[in-house]
Amino acid sequence: MKALTANRLTDGEVVFWKAGAWVERFADAELFDRDDPAVLAEGHAKSQPTVVVDAYLIDLMESEGLWAPVSYRERIRALGPTNHLHHGKQAEGGDAISALQHAHGAARSSGRVNLIKRK
Amino acid sequence: MYQYDSLDREILADRSAEFRDQVARRLAGEMTEEQFKPLRLMNGLYLQLHAYMLRVAIPYGTMSGRQLRKLADIGRRYDRGYGHFTTRTNLQFHWVKLADTPDILDELASIDMHAIQTSGNCIRNVTADPYAGATADEIDDPRIWSEAIRQWSSLHPEFSFLPRKFKIAITASARDRTVARAHDIGLMVRRARDGTLGFEVIVGGGMGRTPFIGPTIREFLPANRLFSYLEAILRVYNRHGRRDNIYKARIKILVSALGREAFARQVDEEWALVGEAGDLPDTEIARIRGAFAPKAFESLPARSEIYDAALADDPAFARFARNNLKPHKRQGYTIVEISLKAIGETPGDASSDQMDVVADLAERYGQDDVRVTHEQNLVLPHVKLEDAPAVHRALASVGLGTPNINLISDIIACPGLDYCALANARAIIIAQDIARRFADQDRAEQVGELKIKISGCINACGHHHVGHIGILGVDKKGEEFYQLTLGGSGAEDAAIGRILGPALPLDKVTDAVDALVEVYLRERQGDERFLDTYRRTGDAPFKEAVYAETH
Repeated sequence: MKALTANRLTDGEVVFWKAGAWVERFADAELFDRDDPAVLAEGHAKSQPTVVVDAYLIDLMESEGLWAPVSYRERIRALGPTNHLHHGKQAEGGDAISALQHAHGAARSSGRVNLIKRK
Repeated sequence: MYQYDSLDREILADRSAEFRDQVARRLAGEMTEEQFKPLRLMNGLYLQLHAYMLRVAIPYGTMSGRQLRKLADIGRRYDRGYGHFTTRTNLQFHWVKLADTPDILDELASIDMHAIQTSGNCIRNVTADPYAGATADEIDDPRIWSEAIRQWSSLHPEFSFLPRKFKIAITASARDRTVARAHDIGLMVRRARDGTLGFEVIVGGGMGRTPFIGPTIREFLPANRLFSYLEAILRVYNRHGRRDNIYKARIKILVSALGREAFARQVDEEWALVGEAGDLPDTEIARIRGAFAPKAFESLPARSEIYDAALADDPAFARFARNNLKPHKRQGYTIVEISLKAIGETPGDASSDQMDVVADLAERYGQDDVRVTHEQNLVLPHVKLEDAPAVHRALASVGLGTPNINLISDIIACPGLDYCALANARAIIIAQDIARRFADQDRAEQVGELKIKISGCINACGHHHVGHIGILGVDKKGEEFYQLTLGGSGAEDAAIGRILGPALPLDKVTDAVDALVEVYLRERQGDERFLDTYRRTGDAPFKEAVYAETH
């Protein structure tokens, strides 16, 4: 399972793709169980340079019956900084946030790998 | 303190207007991200994990109360009510919006501040001794030379596109509070036997992926030849630095590859070509020196009844005085270090309300002078002893009275994976956990000076290489692991720490630090600091304790 993420150009907010638009909550993100539509969506995202920056696909895993990013970095992006729990998306609380906080997956973030490659 | 003139202000106004136009063009789609990114970085604007981050230059870590109050105001209006002081003595706002940034730059310009050259392959903010003008053993005021370098290097066309970023540190005291030997250039003020003022010049130090303690390439450079010599160093670097490989592009790699003598010889050849035309006139240095004229200190008795009474009656103040007050060059005065390392809080963070209080204290008690240290603390360099109890009360009332300067909980930590797009692992959470473990101030004082420095990746913004205990976050198949190094020092006895053993998982790091401390307390002789004991015993007992307990 995959989701598509980026940072919004105007404010840097972490956003997720949902049916041609961008949403702020990971819980609202469109989930791709096949590669083809995911790659197609990524292509659309890359053609929106005045909307988002650095769009890329992330791998997901199950956590507490919900989906969560496998990479720790991506979970922090979806939640907010762990030193200020009242900052970022995590401040909202709820089951979807809790599932992300309790996920235990481990994988390198493709976003970071791409960032380093581009340097 | 140096005051901007009309030319400085025009430059900032122009630069801010230029960036406003660039942002508008980017938002309108007239510029791609690839075109815009280097422009925003030249104005200190990064895109991090959750938002844009704006890095504001605090020139050689010096600012006025008015400037700090404006930073607090920006934090309140454009960020989330706080800012983060860094190991480069700058301030970062971590929740900035791109569309707001031109307004923020205007706000900064209104107090003679900016974010120019806080990113990019140029000469960055100079690091200077935070005790400048206040410490007794100072040969000259390093701010004079730092300010001259700031003016010389700002928007310098020849040095705006160096092979890689470039950092200069200046210290004028026997105690190095700048990590001069781990900078691209470290300048140590010296005085020759005939009284001539000059510098020992160290080139090619650095941390990051390939750490080096920089070698001295000139034992004594007359101060009036500083700028031609800097120009020669930078020209050699500009010509031969490795632009083909980002990991080998810093000057330290060039100096190491050529060797100290060959590099120094090339600099000397270039220096001869630059000649005295490359130096600043004495009148210009004198003009800048005038901005740092010694403060009008009062003639005070060595003892203060108010201070002595507070020491006797208030144990909290006595502890603060033991750890956070440092000797001032003038009788009856003291240097106050303000710890931004409250137990369990984020190292280097200060809320806007806290910044306001420090600004008020600087104006009321501290000759309107605030410093930032590379260890992510603040300093009021000129406080009367008799005012120290009042300053402490005011600081403590807003959570800034933590009496832990140089102790185990006075930890440097970079923002790490909680904020930084490049990080491998979190750094802040490790610092918080260690600080909580050593929250007992009696135990912390018993342990004494122990500098823990934590970086979330190999770029080493958290200076882990020069920590007595260094902690480096690494990515092991997507999980956060931490490599310990021991024996580093960023002081006058500078050294790069040695890796102790295999990296540890996050939940084992604090136990490992505790084990290291217990070995030190067991092994130490006399007044040895942790670092002294480690240097005497080597790593064997420490290694045994950590890996016996964690595996």
